[in-house]
Order: sequence, then structure tokens, then C-alpha cells
Amino acid sequence: MRLLTHNFLRSNVKGTENGYPLIIEVTTVRCEESPVDKEFLLGLIPKVDYSALRSAVRHMGPHCDPPLPDLPEVLPSAVGDVPSLDDATISILHRVLFDVYLVEGYLVCPDTGRKFPVKDGIPNMILHEDEI
Amino acid sequence: MSLSLEATEEYILLIEFVHKHLDFHNAELHSILEMHGVQIGTDCLIRELPIAGRTSEFRRPFKILSFPWSSIGCKFCLDDCDDDAKRKKCTNLVSAFSRCTLIRGVLELWGAGPTIDDCVESIRSGYYPRRHQEGKHLGSGDGAKKFEERTWSILVHTLGSTYTREEQNDMRSAFSFMNFPGRVQMKDPDDEYLFIREVELDGQGGAVYPRHSGINKQIIPENDARPPLACYFGRVLGNNGLGRNWRGSNRIEQYSLKKRCYLGPTSMDSELSLIMTNLAQIQPCGSFVFDPFVGTGSILLTAALRGAFCFGTDIDLRVLRGRNHNENISSNFKQYNLKPPELVRSDNAIYHRHFRSHLPLFDAIVTDPPYGIRAGARKSGSRKCGEVRPISDEHRYDHVAQTRPYAVSDVMSDLLNVAAMTLKMGGRLVYVIPSMSDFDERMDLPQHECLRLDYVCYQPLQTEYGRRTVTMKKVKEYDEKKRSQYLENTWINGAESAEKVANIRERLIETAKTKPGYEEKALRRKATRKATKEAKKKAKREAAAIDAASKSECL
Repeated sequence: MRLLTHNFLRSNVKGTENGYPLIIEVTTVRCEESPVDKEFLLGLIPKVDYSALRSAVRHMGPHCDPPLPDLPEVLPSAVGDVPSLDDATISILHRVLFDVYLVEGYLVCPDTGRKFPVKDGIPNMILHEDEI
Repeated sequence: MSLSLEATEEYILLIEFVHKHLDFHNAELHSILEMHGVQIGTDCLIRELPIAGRTSEFRRPFKILSFPWSSIGCKFCLDDCDDDAKRKKCTNLVSAFSRCTLIRGVLELWGAGPTIDDCVESIRSGYYPRRHQEGKHLGSGDGAKKFEERTWSILVHTLGSTYTREEQNDMRSAFSFMNFPGRVQMKDPDDEYLFIREVELDGQGGAVYPRHSGINKQIIPENDARPPLACYFGRVLGNNGLGRNWRGSNRIEQYSLKKRCYLGPTSMDSELSLIMTNLAQIQPCGSFVFDPFVGTGSILLTAALRGAFCFGTDIDLRVLRGRNHNENISSNFKQYNLKPPELVRSDNAIYHRHFRSHLPLFDAIVTDPPYGIRAGARKSGSRKCGEVRPISDEHRYDHVAQTRPYAVSDVMSDLLNVAAMTLKMGGRLVYVIPSMSDFDERMDLPQHECLRLDYVCYQPLQTEYGRRTVTMKKVKEYDEKKRSQYLENTWINGAESAEKVANIRERLIETAKTKPGYEEKALRRKATRKATKEAKKKAKREAAAIDAASKSECL
């Protein structure tokens, strides 16, 4: 699971108000570099919840080699729909969104504490029959 | 009537399709042209095919497109490589057409007519030889040689019938009047010319009136005397990379399911999924594609081949994880050197509860939903309705979540609603739906207020049964408040339509039962199954015995 996916997932257990963002409990991570697709990234940025991404980076950062840098507190304001970012910020954002994977671990609901296991990089978000 | 060549400002292309997936030819071509910014009706026109004084009720694997000559070289170009086109900021028609899975090749049409003589006549009165000499459309750069230096060859293509080399030479000699100054070169010439003789073809691509009898290969005189349906002569486009057989050189074979390590019973064949990626207009870079019933990832894989970033969900954890580390969805992606897809186990029935936002996120949703023919659909929930036993905390993490059957009508209404919610404006939903012969495209297809139906392509599988590939486009913003209304209005005919796609498996079995000899066949199959099972058991017992014997020897 990349952090991009984490940014869109939420806990859906019965009785959760918000269930977002999920807390990451890391067992194993994997880093794999990939070429930067600037246009694709810029198209996605407006849809990413930035504060959730920052907290995810804080959870994952120390486990990565080299450790992930802290993201800037706020992104430069957008011009129209497309954010105006310098190349250094783009490459950091690309790395945190696309190049680090949570392989084993848990996603924890911030409201109820329900743990969703992540195995082989695949989060299991299925609810048990008493949680629907 | 030969092709009208009076309007000197035209540039005419002949497209030859593969004789396969006939109903998809138009949809795929239109979709790809639209994706490359070519509007049929304004940028180019579709011309009638020439025909020899008779009508043909059979589908013909050809299409003629006419572009204004003035647009060639500025708005459109015909280079073999894309670099030039990118620099000039024009659309390369060759690379656009070559993306169509069902196109076999494209000719710059120099002449056409009902007979070979008409064809020759239309070349003589036409302007193509002169235009070729001037060479404005041949591009600049290294690839474009001067007319006098261009090597050439003429090939003969007689579809559906066989002619000897001598007979082919006779046909070829009809075009010797053109006297090309360059050298003849059969292998990789600069210009390859092609003469095509079209006859009536049936649904399988065989000749309706075959020239040779199937049994003793003798010529059937009355069929041999039949004039062709039409004749075409032209220059093959994309000759320096694709050759005459574009399809062959695009090597669709290499993506064949047979080459993949990880497969399941419902993996989608690579050809149809490649067509689906074209109907979905997946861009060479920056498309975000979603498959909510990802299964073994066969559709997403072809989307990734087209350059998409892929996201897939499924309720079945076993298919997502695969057999082992070398046989799973990601290993298939690695095989073709593609970016790994994002996979999540979630339930499409409650998509809105699994994911944070209802933001339009995806450029395309391409999927083969479960219809219970090979794999039954499931959704989260207790197996027995209304009986939910609470799970104790100590068992919470080992607990296997129960699922219950998911009615096909709900699968479809949820799919359309998720698509309407998550597609970007103008994004496309492409899905497969099976149907029996009583299916009425207008009334029985699921609908959504925010999605417009663009194409429905039918693929017959058996006489009674086939499947349709449906393409829809998001044209209206989704309104979360109208959710229940959207879901209710999915089926125009209500439950009746839903019923038609729901129990296809049962109905297929029903129809099979009415056929003569069903009982005996069923018994025979049962016996074979039993025998195989016994044999397996026996082999296992023997292996265990040998194992035990060798162990006791060691001791």
C-alpha cells in the first residue's frame, strides 16, 4: 500500500463518526524508486488531504531508508486548480505518495481503535458481520 | 461506380480491420480518433465503400476515411515515429490508428473500384502518383527519401481465397504502368504498395463463395468466375515500423493470458481487455484507472500497459494475494515491467464507507463484474439474514468475516453509482455484461442520470448467449443527496431487466438440458470426474506409502 491509497482510506466500523485519518502501525516498509510523472502528481494534489499525508509521513518516515523528510507545514497556495510547486517539493511529494509502501502492519481507526491488518501490501478493510 | 476523386483536396485512407469482434470495429476506431482529437464529421468524413453492382448484407472489414488535403502536414501527419509529430504539435495518424487492437493495416488509397480495371482507371485519373512525387506528406527528416531513391514493392492480398504466384503476378502487372523510378526491394522497402481483392466474407472471416472446395482443393468454376466485391490499391502506411500487418507487429500475442504466471478462471482475455482500454480512452501517461472487481488483475494489467496508474479492489482476499510471492497480481505486473498496482480488499457495495471522499478521482473505470456464471458475487454481511452474533474481542483478529450473496441487480446499480461518484467529468466506465437473446439494449441496460451511454458492442459466444461491452461517459455532476433515487432508477423495467442478467448460469443449464443427448453426456462427464478424483486419491495414497517406507528405512 502506498501512502496515496492511505490518504483515501477510512475506517467504516459501525458507530464511527469520522474514522479518518487511519493511524499507521508499521512492521515492514519497502521503498522503490519510480520516475516522476509531474502532470499526474499535480492533478492529484488538490484531492489529497494534506494534513493526513503529513501525519502518515510522520508514522512511516523513521522506518524508511533514508528516512522520509518532514513535509512543509502548508503547501504554497494553488493558482487556479493546479498548485504551483517547485521541483524539490514535487520530488518529495512524489516519493511519499508513490515510492514508499507499507508491506506489513496495521491501519488503526482513530475513533474505535479497530485494527485493519495489512499483509503483503494489501490492506484488508472488510468489516466483520457485527460491524456493518 | 469508382471512388470519386474529383475533389482534389482530399486525402483518403483505407482501414482494414481484423475479421474478429466485428461489432467493436466502429466503437474502437471512433473512441481512439476522439481521444487523439480527430472529430469525425469535421476533421474527416467516412466514405461509402465501393461495391460491384450488388448489395452485401455481410459486414465488410474495411472503412474509408477522407481528410482534407490541407490538414495533412499541419494538423495531422503520417510519420513512423512520434518525435517529429510532437515537435510540430500535430496528431500522428499512424500512431493513433496503430493503437486500435482491431486494425490490421491502413492504406493511403490511390485507387478503388468494383474491378481491377476500375481500380487502375481511378489511379490514372487520380492525383496520388503526382502527390507522391512531390512528397509533402512524407515528412521531413532522415526517413524521407526523395521520390527517385525510394525502393518499393507491390504485394497482392486476396482475402478469403488463394491465388497462385503466377495469378498474383498477373494482377500485379496491371499496375506496372506507374513506372516507379526507384529500385524494387521485397524486404523492407521504403514504399510498400498493396492490391486488395475483396470478396464477401462470413462472420468467421471465410469466403461466402470459396474459390476452392474445402475437400479436394479443386477450383469451383462458378465461384471463381464471380467478380470481386471491390478492389483497392494503395500505399501501406507505417511501413518503417509496422509493415503491412500492424496487428502482428504490435505483438498482441506477447500479452496473451497464456504468458502470465498468475491466472484465474475469470481472467479477461488480453485482446478484449486491450479493446476495453481503448474504449476507456486511457492516455499514454497520467490516467488513473480503477477496477472494483479486480480479481486476478487481468484488466488492470492491460490498462497499465497503456500507461495508466492502477487501483483495484476485490472482496476476495485469496485472489488479491495470489498463490505465493511469485504468482500474484504484482508478479504479473513485474513480468511486463509495469508500475505495481494499488490493491485493497474492500466491498464495492459499501464503497462510500471505505473511502474518504466522493471526489472525482479516476479517469476510467474498467471492469468485468461478477455475474455468477463463473464466479458468484458476494458482499459483506452475515450469512444468515438478521442473525448477527457479536464477536468477542479475543477473536477479533482471527475472525474470518462472513459474506453473503450479492444480487446481480445490486452489483450493477452499485457499480454505476460508484462510477458516477468517482469518475472525473468526461471519464469513462467500461464494463462487460452477459446476456441471452431476449436482452433488449434500449430497455434492459442499467442506467444512471450522470452517465451517458456511448457504445454497446455485442460479442456472440453461443447461439443463445453472448456478452456486451458497454461504454458510458460521465456527463453530469454527482449529487450525494440523490443517492437513493439514483439507485432506484437503475433499471427502467425494474426487476424484470435485472432478472435477465441475473440467472444466466441457471438459464444456460436449462437450455443445455433441452438439447438431445444431454443426459448421456452428463453421466459420462460425471463418470470421468469420479475417475479423475479416484486416480488422484490413489496417487496420493501411494506417495504417502512410499514416503512412510523411506522414513522407516532411514530409522
